[in-house]
Amino acid sequence: MSTTEETIKDIVVKIVHCEREVLTPESTFQDMKADSLDMVQVLVALEDEFGIEIPDEDAQKFKNFSDFVTYVEARIAEKK
Amino acid sequence: MLRGKVALVTGSSRGIGRAIALKLAKEGADIIINFFRRREAAEQTAEDIEKLGVTAKVIRANVGNPEKIDEMFDTILSSFGHLDILVNNAASGLPRSALDLDTKVWEWTMDINARALLLCAQRAVKLMEGRGGKIVAITSLGSSLVWPGYIAIGVSKATLEALTRYLAIELAPKNICVNAVGASLVPTEVGLAYARGGQLGDDSTWQTTPAGRMVSPEDIANVVAFLCSEEAFMIRGQTVIVDGGTSSAPFGFTHKGEGD
Repeated sequence: MSTTEETIKDIVVKIVHCEREVLTPESTFQDMKADSLDMVQVLVALEDEFGIEIPDEDAQKFKNFSDFVTYVEARIAEKK
Repeated sequence: MLRGKVALVTGSSRGIGRAIALKLAKEGADIIINFFRRREAAEQTAEDIEKLGVTAKVIRANVGNPEKIDEMFDTILSSFGHLDILVNNAASGLPRSALDLDTKVWEWTMDINARALLLCAQRAVKLMEGRGGKIVAITSLGSSLVWPGYIAIGVSKATLEALTRYLAIELAPKNICVNAVGASLVPTEVGLAYARGGQLGDDSTWQTTPAGRMVSPEDIANVVAFLCSEEAFMIRGQTVIVDGGTSSAPFGFTHKGEGD
């Protein structure tokens, strides 16, 4: 498991208040019981943490946790 | 009418903010388009504004975050050196009942919808020093009337209107006019999501006004442009309601022709 994925999990758990075990690659935002405000706050926290931008146009395409991690890793790689 | 002026419209990537940005651009103002979540939409708005022959600059900032507001104004200072018009339009919120409203939603909504006007005005005034300016806040009828599930936003809008009055008086000696424009339900992406969220009943209950149609983003933009003009110089601290008459008709209304 990558460090990025671990950091994303830390942020999601802190903001959404879900159990860490809920966060598998297949888990959806419904599984996490995240409302739309939780999601925006997670995105903003990730943006600040990694110095990237995750516009809604992209975020709306995420189907599960794995899509999320892949996207964030790609944006971090782009930055380097 | 606004040629050579610089205007910041918060939350102007889409909806009412976009219509205001386009209207002020048509009047000749250079526009700063602020957005938070929709970059593509913001860039499209900038492109449409530049076609009108004025400058458009896109600045991303969550106006709920004081640091981001500061960064936005630092950019405005370095890019334009001054500001003539601030339109506080950005808003957010979630449908909640009073008993389900937690501090997270309350703070998020109040910070973005109400506190942002105070913090943006504090920075904007420095960029208006010696030249005067116009500040217009966008509010809604939910500040004084009760809309289903709208408590967090309604309370934040009531705060916004009170702030508008206090700012109007304190800034009057600086030649800065501060007012608000209050809208009824406007069929933007956000407005329709609220209306169709199951709280307002079927479409016929909210899809019209005594004036015979819903209020459009352009209806709001036209009043904002007027408040930004010198003709509105003596209007201070007011909330101008643009609702096609809805708030004046508590028992509803029917359309009847003359002589009916």
